[in-house]
Amino acid sequence: MQKRVTVGFLSIVCLLFISGMLSFVELSRLSRDTGDILKASRRNIELAKEILDAAHELNVSLIHSSVFGDRAQDSVARRSMVRLETVWLTAQEEALDKSFLDSLAFAATEMKILVDGYLATPLPQPATVDTLVVVEPVVADQLTVDPMQAVVVEEKPENWYTDQFESVYSRLTTAVKAYMTSTQSSLAPRTEQLKKNAYRAVTPVLISLVVMIAIVLMLYYFMMIYCVKPMLRMNKSLGDYLTFKIPFSVKSELKDEVLELKEKIDTLIGQVRKSKL
Amino acid sequence: MRIDLVLRYVGMVMLFIAAFMLVSVGISYASGVDSAFYPLLLSALLTALLGAFPQIFVEKKGHLSTKEGFAVVVGSWLVACIVGMFPYLIWGGEFNLINAWFESVSGFTTTGATILNDIEALPRGLLFWRMSSTWIGGMGVVMFALVILPSMGRSKMTLSNVELSTLAKENFNYRTQVIVRILLVVYLGLTLLSLVSLKMAGMNWFDSLCHAMSAVSTSGFSTKNLSIAFYNSPAIETILILTMAISGIHFGLIYATVTGKRNNVFRSEVTRYYVGMLLVMSLLIAISLYGADLYSTFSTSFRHAVFQVVSVTTTSGFATADTNLWTPFAVVILIVGSMVCASAGSTTGGLKINRLILAVKMMKARLLQQRHPNAVIRVRLDGMIQEHDMLHSVMVFIVAYVVLILIGALIGTMWGLDLTTAFTGSVACMGNIGPGFGEVGSMDNFASMPTVIKGVDSLLMLFGRLEIFGLIQLFFMKWWK
Repeated sequence: MQKRVTVGFLSIVCLLFISGMLSFVELSRLSRDTGDILKASRRNIELAKEILDAAHELNVSLIHSSVFGDRAQDSVARRSMVRLETVWLTAQEEALDKSFLDSLAFAATEMKILVDGYLATPLPQPATVDTLVVVEPVVADQLTVDPMQAVVVEEKPENWYTDQFESVYSRLTTAVKAYMTSTQSSLAPRTEQLKKNAYRAVTPVLISLVVMIAIVLMLYYFMMIYCVKPMLRMNKSLGDYLTFKIPFSVKSELKDEVLELKEKIDTLIGQVRKSKL
Repeated sequence: MRIDLVLRYVGMVMLFIAAFMLVSVGISYASGVDSAFYPLLLSALLTALLGAFPQIFVEKKGHLSTKEGFAVVVGSWLVACIVGMFPYLIWGGEFNLINAWFESVSGFTTTGATILNDIEALPRGLLFWRMSSTWIGGMGVVMFALVILPSMGRSKMTLSNVELSTLAKENFNYRTQVIVRILLVVYLGLTLLSLVSLKMAGMNWFDSLCHAMSAVSTSGFSTKNLSIAFYNSPAIETILILTMAISGIHFGLIYATVTGKRNNVFRSEVTRYYVGMLLVMSLLIAISLYGADLYSTFSTSFRHAVFQVVSVTTTSGFATADTNLWTPFAVVILIVGSMVCASAGSTTGGLKINRLILAVKMMKARLLQQRHPNAVIRVRLDGMIQEHDMLHSVMVFIVAYVVLILIGALIGTMWGLDLTTAFTGSVACMGNIGPGFGEVGSMDNFASMPTVIKGVDSLLMLFGRLEIFGLIQLFFMKWWK
């Protein structure tokens, strides 16, 4: 009986351990998935902010340069354009869902062509084709600014700003905003998936617990019929013997400690009878 | 009732199921550790633990009584269906709690109905587990327990009384240990034969194995969304028709035929009626389909008609055509076939043709009795006089069977299903067939059924498999004392 009970409890301990390990593994996986999604979302927002910052810096420097005639701001504009390109390339590499980058790619390329053309003054030259490094053929076809026609300001630079740059700038900021909102909306199906993952994470643990409850119930049942009930029967029979001298008689089905105890009581009663005789 | 002893034997069945889960783990591993590996491994461990626990405490003692035998069979089936859910639930996908229960019950009762919209999306390990459940169910969970428990002695017959139709044992004139051996030899032999034939007909090994297991157990589970229609191969269809038709014959008679015994299939009245019914139904449907211009040639009509008739009558449920598009006449014949079903003593479910023959003979005897009130009229089947008790139980069973179908259909219509879907769905589940007509047609599934209907249908499957009264007894507290 002792061995059986030990094995029984060890089984329950094992199951508890398995349940615990499963919970740990599944929750770790769930936590990792959630972390990945949140990290990607945060990074998207950071990148969008950096693009907006760079575009804003570019805008300010070009206002100074074109409207107020401060050409010293051209170097700031070049730096801002490089910054914009760098962030854009990073966004391309790290984006969670690249399908949202198309309109941003279009706006950024358009901006680069226009700004490169402007910064090429006071020696007005047509913008070269190598400025289209990041432009895909399809995108290049759709550009409103023709690279060959992107000759900068012919007469009044402030007109260039209002006529050409402002609309391109507006398109870029709109594309960045769209990028920000769309990446956020793309999180919805992912969070839905997280909900399913959470369900899946809990299922094995729940099943283990159900099995454990079944085993505990069985253990209770076996303890009752193999240990508790024989004890109670022996107690009653011994009480009957001591009170009414009814012969001590208890049936035991298993060859275990309970049977040994019963046999020892039988022996003891036999010895008492002999000594009385 | 010695519940501890019952738990011990149910535990042994659990260990057997765990072994099959481990085989599925092996398949999953061989398929490049697919997504079913972890769910199957965990399920195998939990099932093994659950099965091993009673073995620790309960010692082998004495023989089982009839009541205990019933409890072992019914308990094994219910627990098998519960542990059979584990791999599905842990794997996820389309399986929520009710879907996993439905699929598991459908497997172990060899019904073959499914809630899966995309069967081909399942990993191989899980597909194999699905087929294993149906293969285990086909032979009877308890029969396996009997095979691995040679020390049970006389109690073997006690258990097989419940598993086999009560009519089936009338034809057995063997000792119970021999019966177990016969069933095993026939079952394994048919599976192997079907496996090799399907492979030779062009299926790959995995699909051959799965379809062989499914055909022999007459469940109708397939690895393809289009079932057998996917292969569009007359050779494969012919092999499956033969496998299903043979699986619908009394296994004892198959064994007797193979071993050259006198009491064989060719001398069996039941088998003659069974084969005759298959042929007549196929011919009538083929004429109807050809007449309605559904198929261009008569041979094509006959090919599809034979396959569907054998599939439905043997309670398999494989499909080569969308029977929803067939003529009303063909549909009615198929519904009749799905209610009559095949012989007792086979892996098929349903009413069994033996009962129908006896019912018809009883009606004939009743008419004769009215004409000759003093005559002593005996009802015979296969040359044997049938006792009054047996005839009475046949009639009670038929009434109970029809009543349960009607209750199922009533609940179905109450939950908004159309009459065809509700009625044929109940017939298909009660008879362990699988597909019905309407929304649960041969090319559809039970995915769109409301949760309550899935629950009711799975209960009908259990009633059908356990021959109704085995399960009903479980609900009476007095029975447990």
